[in-house]
Amino acid sequence: MTDKEQQQTDARSAGDRLVSGHVSEDPFAAAFKATRMPMIVTDPNQHDNPIIFCNAAFNKLTGYTNEEIIGQNCRILQGPKSDPKAVEKMRKAIAAGEDVAVDVTNYRKDGSTFWNAVFISPVRDDSGKIIYFFASQLDFTHVKSREADLAAARHKAEEEVASQTANLRSALSAKSLLVHEVDHRVKNNLLTMASIVKMQARITTDQGQKQALESVLNRIEALSTVQRKLFTLDDVSKFDISDFTRELVTDLVEATGRKDIHLSLDLSPVHVPAVKATPLSLVVNELVGDAVLRGLSQGGDIHVVVRRTNGHFVILVEDTSEPVEVDKERAQFSRKLLEASALQLGAKIERTVQNRKTSVSVTVLVDVNLETTH
Amino acid sequence: MLLAMELESEVELAGHEVTDMVMSSDQARRALASTKPDFAFVDIHLMDGATGIDFGRELSENGVPYVFVSGNIKKIPDDFAGALGAIEKPYTANGMKNALTYLSAIVDGDESLEPPASLVLADDARASRRS
Repeated sequence: MTDKEQQQTDARSAGDRLVSGHVSEDPFAAAFKATRMPMIVTDPNQHDNPIIFCNAAFNKLTGYTNEEIIGQNCRILQGPKSDPKAVEKMRKAIAAGEDVAVDVTNYRKDGSTFWNAVFISPVRDDSGKIIYFFASQLDFTHVKSREADLAAARHKAEEEVASQTANLRSALSAKSLLVHEVDHRVKNNLLTMASIVKMQARITTDQGQKQALESVLNRIEALSTVQRKLFTLDDVSKFDISDFTRELVTDLVEATGRKDIHLSLDLSPVHVPAVKATPLSLVVNELVGDAVLRGLSQGGDIHVVVRRTNGHFVILVEDTSEPVEVDKERAQFSRKLLEASALQLGAKIERTVQNRKTSVSVTVLVDVNLETTH
Repeated sequence: MLLAMELESEVELAGHEVTDMVMSSDQARRALASTKPDFAFVDIHLMDGATGIDFGRELSENGVPYVFVSGNIKKIPDDFAGALGAIEKPYTANGMKNALTYLSAIVDGDESLEPPASLVLADDARASRRS
């Protein structure tokens, strides 16, 4: 008999001894044999701590018969995928005579693997000496595979989200690049248009033509200023008519170089939909232009108000100055622009002249829908 | 170039002499090497790309005061590359005229004037970017 065979015989007889110590009516032994939980008993007092007993559930789980498994160390269940750390944990606990619970990949006889929740516990005699180790197994492969499925699904979803986000981000960046480019071109074209008109005005000697060109230039520049002020608010769909008015009127008065034109401003921020910016800017441009023109004769006071009222906002331009003879064509053109813009805005214009004081107010209904949706 | 020529007219009309008009940063460097101007207007986008900012730094290192003239002043770095400020395109004739008046005074050492609305001063821009 070889050593190996001898060891197996020893293990088997140790198992037989263990079983014979329990009468067949012993409910504990019966439960051990019949339970669906795979269980084994090993004998640490024999060489290499062999399995001396296993129940039918263990045979079923591992595929080993009693003949094959008795006398073997539990290592027989391990293989390449068994985590060395988990194995080491079991080894240490057994060496120290302690309970241990470990999750480890184990191998069946046919080489297939299963996730095993192992629980090992020493069994001591009255003197406290370890006489057996008891181990139970629990196949939880289905739990693990569900976890793995879930993790894979989550991973896939995350990848999908990341890829969609990247697509959106690149689309957004392409879009903002395009908006920037278009904005830049519009600005440059407006300035080029203005430059062409200026150049022509400079060369032209005819006073009438010069005036006409300057009149066109003035309106182009109002639109240029609108374009410059667009996209400057946090909400790019809005346009601050007060900010526009402040710059237009201060630039205009300052450029006259006249110290006898006194300007006072009462401007509170009024954010209007960007689509209304063009007609509104033309309205402001005409009103302010007229007031400054009157002030040019002998100086005067100009007062500009932009204010939000109940559901409306008001642009008010008042000036106190000596009445001047106005150029009929110029006045007619200005009035036409004003009327057309007011019509487009649905605005109401009121003009009063009292002695030296001219007062023009433009009331615009704030379109609630436009304001909230755009 | 049309815009530059028009600006040249405005500058001359205000009583100044234009020493050079250039389209690329290389031309600008050569011009700077031959004549050091009292003042310069620099667009961010030149023929050779967005090189205006780097050239602006060179102007600043050479002690030439300057302003940017640009359609996108957000592109100017926080330190404004040493520029006094920026005139945003499309500027108006009035806006440019007022900026010129103010800038000539500054170059002459007169700091009593109020800066015009058309000129974004570097210090103000820095303050508002920080806030």
